[in-house]
Amino acid sequence: MKTLKLYPLELGRLLRSRLTWLVMALTALSPAVGLVLYKPAVSTTMNSLYLANPAIAGGVVGSILFGLLAIFELDRACRSRVDILTDAVVSPLTTALTRLLALLTSAVLTAALTMLIWFPISAGWIGSVFDGVDYILAYLLLMGLALLLSILAAASAYQFTRRADLSVVLFVAFCALSLTVWAGNWQLCWLNPCVWALSDDFSNFRVFRSVGYMRLTWLAALSGVWTLSWLCVRQNGKGAFGSIARSARRVYRPAVALALLVCSGMAYAAQPFIDHSNPDLTVMSFYEIPYAEGVTFLSRSAQVFPDTETGTVTGRAAYRFQNTSGQEQSISFGIDPGYGVSNVQANGKDVPFTVSSYQEYNEALLEVTIPAEETVELTMEYSGFPQETLPTMQGGKELSGEYLCLENASFSPRLLNVLPGENGYPAHLEITLPDAMIAVPFGASQAEVVAEHENGTKTWHWEDNSASDILYAGDYVREDIEAGGMSIEFYYGRKHQAVMEEAKAVEAVKAVVNYCTRHYGKLSFGTGETLKLIQSRVAGGAYAAGGASLLDEADFTIANLGDTSKGAVPGETFIHELVHQWWGLGNMFDVTDSASPWSAEGLTVYTTYRIVKELYGEAYAKEHYIDQWQQAVDDYYLNFYVRHPAYLDMLPEAERLNISNSLSSVRQYSEMPLKILKAERLVGGEEAMDQILHDLFNRELDPMYPYLTYQEFLDACGLTEEELNLG
Amino acid sequence: MGKIFRYECRRLLLNKFFLGIMAALLFYGWQVLSGVTILGVSHTAPFSPWSFGDYLSRMLPLLWIGILFFLTFFTSPGARRTAVLTAATPVTSRAYALARCAAALTGGALLVLLCMGEAAVFYGRMFGWYNWGSLVLPSLVTLLPPLVFALGSGWQMGQRRHCLLYVWMAVPFLLIALPLPEALGLWNGSFFTVYPLTLGTLDPEFALSIPVTIAQLFLLVLGAFLLAQNSKSAEQPIEMHKLPVDK
Amino acid sequence: MEINIQEVGMTYPSGKQALKGLNLELKSPSLIGLLGPNGAGKSTLMKLLVAALLPTEGNILVDGAPLARAERKLKASLGYLPQDFGLFDELTVTQFLDYMAALKGLGDSKAAIQKAIGAVNLEEKAKAKIRTLSGGQRQRVGIAQALLGDPPFLIFDEPTVGLDPEERIHFRNLFSRTAQERLVLLSTHIIEDVQSVCDQIVVIHQGRIRFAGTPERLIQSAEGHVGVFYEREAVQEEGLHITARVNTSQGVRCRAVADDLPPFAQAEEPTLEDAYLYLISGEAAQ
Repeated sequence: MKTLKLYPLELGRLLRSRLTWLVMALTALSPAVGLVLYKPAVSTTMNSLYLANPAIAGGVVGSILFGLLAIFELDRACRSRVDILTDAVVSPLTTALTRLLALLTSAVLTAALTMLIWFPISAGWIGSVFDGVDYILAYLLLMGLALLLSILAAASAYQFTRRADLSVVLFVAFCALSLTVWAGNWQLCWLNPCVWALSDDFSNFRVFRSVGYMRLTWLAALSGVWTLSWLCVRQNGKGAFGSIARSARRVYRPAVALALLVCSGMAYAAQPFIDHSNPDLTVMSFYEIPYAEGVTFLSRSAQVFPDTETGTVTGRAAYRFQNTSGQEQSISFGIDPGYGVSNVQANGKDVPFTVSSYQEYNEALLEVTIPAEETVELTMEYSGFPQETLPTMQGGKELSGEYLCLENASFSPRLLNVLPGENGYPAHLEITLPDAMIAVPFGASQAEVVAEHENGTKTWHWEDNSASDILYAGDYVREDIEAGGMSIEFYYGRKHQAVMEEAKAVEAVKAVVNYCTRHYGKLSFGTGETLKLIQSRVAGGAYAAGGASLLDEADFTIANLGDTSKGAVPGETFIHELVHQWWGLGNMFDVTDSASPWSAEGLTVYTTYRIVKELYGEAYAKEHYIDQWQQAVDDYYLNFYVRHPAYLDMLPEAERLNISNSLSSVRQYSEMPLKILKAERLVGGEEAMDQILHDLFNRELDPMYPYLTYQEFLDACGLTEEELNLG
Repeated sequence: MGKIFRYECRRLLLNKFFLGIMAALLFYGWQVLSGVTILGVSHTAPFSPWSFGDYLSRMLPLLWIGILFFLTFFTSPGARRTAVLTAATPVTSRAYALARCAAALTGGALLVLLCMGEAAVFYGRMFGWYNWGSLVLPSLVTLLPPLVFALGSGWQMGQRRHCLLYVWMAVPFLLIALPLPEALGLWNGSFFTVYPLTLGTLDPEFALSIPVTIAQLFLLVLGAFLLAQNSKSAEQPIEMHKLPVDK
Repeated sequence: MEINIQEVGMTYPSGKQALKGLNLELKSPSLIGLLGPNGAGKSTLMKLLVAALLPTEGNILVDGAPLARAERKLKASLGYLPQDFGLFDELTVTQFLDYMAALKGLGDSKAAIQKAIGAVNLEEKAKAKIRTLSGGQRQRVGIAQALLGDPPFLIFDEPTVGLDPEERIHFRNLFSRTAQERLVLLSTHIIEDVQSVCDQIVVIHQGRIRFAGTPERLIQSAEGHVGVFYEREAVQEEGLHITARVNTSQGVRCRAVADDLPPFAQAEEPTLEDAYLYLISGEAAQ
């Protein structure tokens, strides 16, 4: 009660201090730092540039200022010896609590003030894709909570040490850790959350949930630490330990501190966002599971029910097998590590199953034993929060009423060790979505509405023939384009319509498809002549498969449109992914050998370069492609660990994998394109290379091994591997 | 003055602050070593003078703060109240100031040794590398000028206004955020990542460009000059600083 | 030791004139009490005497040499206890005194420290950290550092503040013993302290010296100006400066000083306090 009475007095005193107003004013202005100096969100979406960066920068600068203010204010009483007077009438614990509440309130007021000031500015800059909910959440989570955390941290440091100087050092070191070495660890970077991009066209709830989770974890941790430090508040002339012994007589106090710390520890350990996939990207053990003996695939079905409010997925899957072995068999599935599996039944009876704690490429291993019956119908239910693999690039598993993407094991358990039957892997798939969303299967399949429900949802159905599925759904606009002898279905977000029209996106698609058809030949898909182009939420990369390519929203932002140097086609990632339709489908390249630079990326990156050269000119292409490949390759060859692999072997496993993974992609994305460029020179120029690639694209396929190998490429060029060595 | 120096060292080093900053330095240092330095800079080994210099330049802001905090021991309101007693003693203020500066420098040197010792342990454990002699020059070049400057400028500011020391602590962080010219590359650590690439050889020996040498020498001389000025101005009684010169 | 203060004036940068036209001669051995109300200029005078301030007017001569030239010599023979001072809390009492002894350039610091600690009765706390001491004990550490090395010139500004009555008597005796061979300047509000030990008194008021001489002379100057009366008999109190009111069985008995005692007041022998108050009240009236 005393705290409540004193709180308005303390707040009033704090707000009468000129220093407090200075800190509040500087904090309110600090988002400007995110426009100029500190830009942690690297994406070029408007929300990344003008919302995420200012909010994060505001959080960082404001937090440091408020942390220092907290130390200054707590030390002020001791410095001016007012504590002698106040301690005589009020318990030092009450005073400390009141001061904390006053500081926290001033931080909340500052966050509100900052939001008010920057609202019109952000709305003006972000333009037609500005969203009020995104704005409020960004400032609350990316900035506001950081201020509270820093006050708790700084106040704890002071209450433990009772020294302003030491508290400042500890607080600055804590901030510096977050800003530097912890910056890549999404759970540890308490000050500057790992937000690399905010989407303009679709929702950002996944990213906000992740930041919110991190903030709450730290809030619990720092509240616990603060409560411990609060028990250390010196009283009755005792030291830290004596004061703790005295304050802890009321058992609920240390119990609260302990509970908060335990909650935080549990939240840290049991975070639901990021999986624990093997960091060694060369290991693909799930692909090495032997096929179940005598078991063949008949059909499968899945009904998926995403909950767009909570971001979770519930689903039922059924698989029909023929088991001619006369024995029980173990069937393996890859399943999203965030899902729990239940009700696993074979022919209506419960069967044993296990889910591994080992994870690989965003999948855990689900193993089910099926009975020794000839026809087995295996059913199961699954539900949970889909997990991601890259902690620093979160957002890919966005699931809301505006957008969702369920890939492979996130859609339904992916079958790993059953051979296809006569009809391959026939699948009947359904998903129930809110009214406004269109389901777009990634591939040749077409989804159609089979039921409309009273609760404003629709059930979409489609058929497929594969062991796994990828589904995009969102509030999409569809445009039909004819180019390169194909029908192209172009899906992009409704919010983005004006931008796409201004970007002449349709013309861009035509230009790229026509180029590739002219140079390499017409695409031919197994199920028709339709190509889907789907705009994905900002993902920092994309992929392509038979009959479908992704187009990253970041390729067509308002900011990119303003960059006239890029000519008619703004999005180079989009070109890259479209080219993958020619170079990179499943039947064109085998699984990548980590020891070799040969992969789908080499020819795709080379072709992208050629298209860019044709569209934007030689100088641009050289600067943005050849020079950058050369730089990356030079860096690779010169890298200390590449030159001295013995030192890499000396390192502990975690450090070793971290370094080797970062090095391997250079070979595929930069070394190989340079080799192809060298081959182009050796075979007589671009036209000769185009002819070679045209012939390779249209070659007679060996059905036993349809993949294009490096040797085939070398043979077609009449060159040897040594001749293409760089350096 | 030896006794005063010893007592000042005792005041600066035998307390919670020094223990705390040591803990903070060790923790931060290990994070830098295992997260950044381990990759090596500019294609050189993690234990090359360049990578080591990069490590030190990342530690410099904390060392800078440490030195300035040592100075707050002499300029805080509490210390000024004690100065009423010490000013009434016959010891020359210059000698007294020098003894105190030496103590602050000793504290800074101990912190530096701690950073270097931690790096030595890291190199030994990770790579079995013990050739520490090659790291002496980059250490001196990276740390000596800024730390002497921190001492000189910090003393000057602290004498004028205690709170200026706290403002001055933010300087290295500001330098990291600002794009500095090449000559000032050692002030924010960019020198170690940029300059070796311009030398045209692999694993180049540690060397300094002339502008950088001049910049560091300038910083060192300026720091020493400010220190000398400090001891000169310390000749005046404390309270006299606030008064107009009479006659 | 001889100190001559000649026409000294001190004006602070704020424009406040703390001292004006001060003339004073201080010679050892002597224990001089410096009296005056708050803000009279006592502390400023002390700061001038320890060269913490330089006068804006006039000169201070130390054994005939200007203070600016004899500063080192003055400080080598000075023990100073200011009114407001700090100590290094992180050191023990002995360490702090050793620190001060080093600053004072004392050769045999150990013996000097022992002696000073003994003089202020702090033997039990010799190894205690200063931060653990009470206010009175800190004050004693301050006195001890002033006594270190037996300096011939001692300046004490309010030395007995915070000390209990027993300690005060102890220190009064100590100052008295000390002054047998030295020059001691004692600034205080406690008249009793001055009366007990000082052979000379200097009264400063509003930056000027109002009296300099022996305590007896000051008392003499108040004779016939001190009286007592019962409050009920007082027809008027105008012109009276009441210095005490005591409740007795016959009523409230008042003691007062005045230029002219009224008929209802009965004359009394003046004390030093009466004389001081008479001097100050008269100045105030003017």
